[in-house]
Amino acid sequence: MIIFSIDHKVIGKQYIGLALFSVVLGTLLSLIMRFHLVYPDAKVRLFQAMWPDGAPGGQMTPELYLSLMTMHGTIMVFFVLTTAPQSGFGNYFLPLQIGAHDMAFPVLNMLSFWTTALSLLTLLAAFFVEGGAPLSGWTAYPPLSGLGRITGPGEGLGQDLWILSIALFCVASLMAAINFIATIIELRAPGMGYFDMPLTCWGWFVTALISLFAFAVLLAGGILLLLDRTAGTSFFIPGGLIVNDQVQSRSGGSPILFQHLFWFFGHPEVYIAILPGMGLISTVLSVFSGKKVFGYKAMAIALVSIGGLGFVVWGHHMFISGMSPYSSIAFSVLTLAVGVPSAVKTFNWLATLWGGRLRFTAAMHYALGFVSLFITGGITGLVLGQPGLDVYFHDTYFVVAHFHLIMGVAAIFAIFAAFHYWFPLMYGRFLNERLGKVHFFLTFLGVYAVFVPLHFAGFVGNPRRYPDFKEYEFLKSVMPLHIGVTHAAYFLGAVQLIFLFNYFWSQRHGAIAPANPWNAATREWRND
Amino acid sequence: MTNVARTGQMVLIAASAMFFAALTSAMVVRRGLSGDWAAPALPAWAFATILLPLLASWFVHTGRIGIAALAGAALVASQFALLANLQLARIAGAFCFVLIAAHAAHAAAGAAALARFGARAAIFWHFAGALWIYVLFLFGVWA
Ligand code: HEM
Ligand SMILES: [Cu+2]
Repeated sequence: MIIFSIDHKVIGKQYIGLALFSVVLGTLLSLIMRFHLVYPDAKVRLFQAMWPDGAPGGQMTPELYLSLMTMHGTIMVFFVLTTAPQSGFGNYFLPLQIGAHDMAFPVLNMLSFWTTALSLLTLLAAFFVEGGAPLSGWTAYPPLSGLGRITGPGEGLGQDLWILSIALFCVASLMAAINFIATIIELRAPGMGYFDMPLTCWGWFVTALISLFAFAVLLAGGILLLLDRTAGTSFFIPGGLIVNDQVQSRSGGSPILFQHLFWFFGHPEVYIAILPGMGLISTVLSVFSGKKVFGYKAMAIALVSIGGLGFVVWGHHMFISGMSPYSSIAFSVLTLAVGVPSAVKTFNWLATLWGGRLRFTAAMHYALGFVSLFITGGITGLVLGQPGLDVYFHDTYFVVAHFHLIMGVAAIFAIFAAFHYWFPLMYGRFLNERLGKVHFFLTFLGVYAVFVPLHFAGFVGNPRRYPDFKEYEFLKSVMPLHIGVTHAAYFLGAVQLIFLFNYFWSQRHGAIAPANPWNAATREWRND
Repeated sequence: MTNVARTGQMVLIAASAMFFAALTSAMVVRRGLSGDWAAPALPAWAFATILLPLLASWFVHTGRIGIAALAGAALVASQFALLANLQLARIAGAFCFVLIAAHAAHAAAGAAALARFGARAAIFWHFAGALWIYVLFLFGVWA
């Protein structure tokens, strides 16, 4: 049966399909948000039709904006960036690359996918219930997320569904992680040692290990939060809260405790999004420079150390939470230490290119774009990793610029590279190379046009997660910049149609690909 | 037992251990932060249930899988009885509830796995047993 297939290739494609659907939805939400930020008073019939309560008379309420923001972030982080690079391409290509017939537990694999799909449906259901989608962002901090309907529309059933969705997602990701790890440990081809695996497999391996520990913690946090909402417990709800003029009866809980649980997951999560991409980019750069990856072993070890360090830096998301300055220093030093393995990777990528016979295919373009974005996005991480600077930048658009460049875009470029590189194996045809390059250049331009200016908004102190800026005198000067960003975002959204067209058109009409068209050395291209 | 089954269980155990570690550290932090901690009163018989997983593990060891799964089911039943009497409004009781409920899920899964896969699921079952000793220790001694 094709729907509940237990074939890793089918499941991989199912994950990719789910991610494609999600990325289209997430992008549309972001465009609506960008529109509202610069035209906060606009009355739009379409909004009124879609959200009669959220946009009475077509005028978007602040709550509607926040709910779009929450859904945008959640969809993108979980259902696109966690799903496509690891579960999508990983499922399809990991067994092929290590010479296994399938994943270690094919039925479990099928269950992971369908649990993920159920999780997505649960999340989307939040749009349709009374009060709409939740307001508390992808990080769902209590008390806002912990008290229920009284804190706003969307904080009722919508927030419950959100937590339920994330809990399901945790379970699905844990099942997937178990499968990946067992597959890599047990099903490598005879004679293939760990250091014989392509770096893509290292990326998936380390990502699976991170998922295993990170999602277990998020699941715990989610369960406690759900109990605070539904069972009257007080894990995270402090005493003496007055919400909408009503005194809340709970006491003793700690919202900061939730932040610790969340970011213990949340920081590793950002690596879950990017490590598979790092692995792939190494392969693509090496294939199209006609050279081996420079410093293969150092690259594998760097992946492991980034993954390991990822578990001891979560405090850098909480510098302003009132933590002791000694803890800040420790978290800061550890955070900056992540720069070391990251730099190892970057220089090895450059050294891989050095002296090679470069072939500028579309996949190669995206890989080079990835390196560029990884540097521009990573450098600002080093800025934010310093408590003195972060106290100012935290919760400004500077952070938004940082994580979009590195996670929102670099990781997505890796996905584009993966499509171009592996399409011949997945569909027997090429993605159109010329369209791919056109799409690359326009997208590359677009992302820098959208996200570089946002750093400057951050300099000015422009807060993030505000539905509009019209009340703030000091932000008047930033409005032209925001208008520019919004238009750049429209442009960026529009040029993605080129990719979508290419993706669907080439499945049927692309040039037929010969076996191993790129002259790659890894196993998935062999016919045996 | 195949290597794949063993490795799969070991990895699953790592995830479960992490889950319980997260709940435990949340409890330690939450207890330290506020002055509202009052140890939950588990009935004395709760501590006798420690025998059930031990017995079950022994039955697994000696090849009597059916009885082992039954002992596991008995453990789950006794855990439900404990859950019914816990007060969620007190924070220590709430943590106790979460940890016992989380364990019940593990014990139920472990017993079901024994029934379905036999001795191949032994590793996970032994882990679940050790985990129950840990939970009882938390609330019998530490809390
Ligand atoms: C050397 C590398 C990096 C350093 C030093 C670094 C540092 C930081 C710091 C200190 C923050 C907190 C800023 C604040 O909230 O005030 C932050 C936020 C963030 N970073 Fe990075 N980062 C690095 C790489 C990455 C990578 C590789 C990704 C993802 C692929 C990433 C994704 C994020 C995200 C998503 C946030 C914001 C989360 C939120 O508040 O919603 N970062 N980073
Ligand atoms: Cu971080």
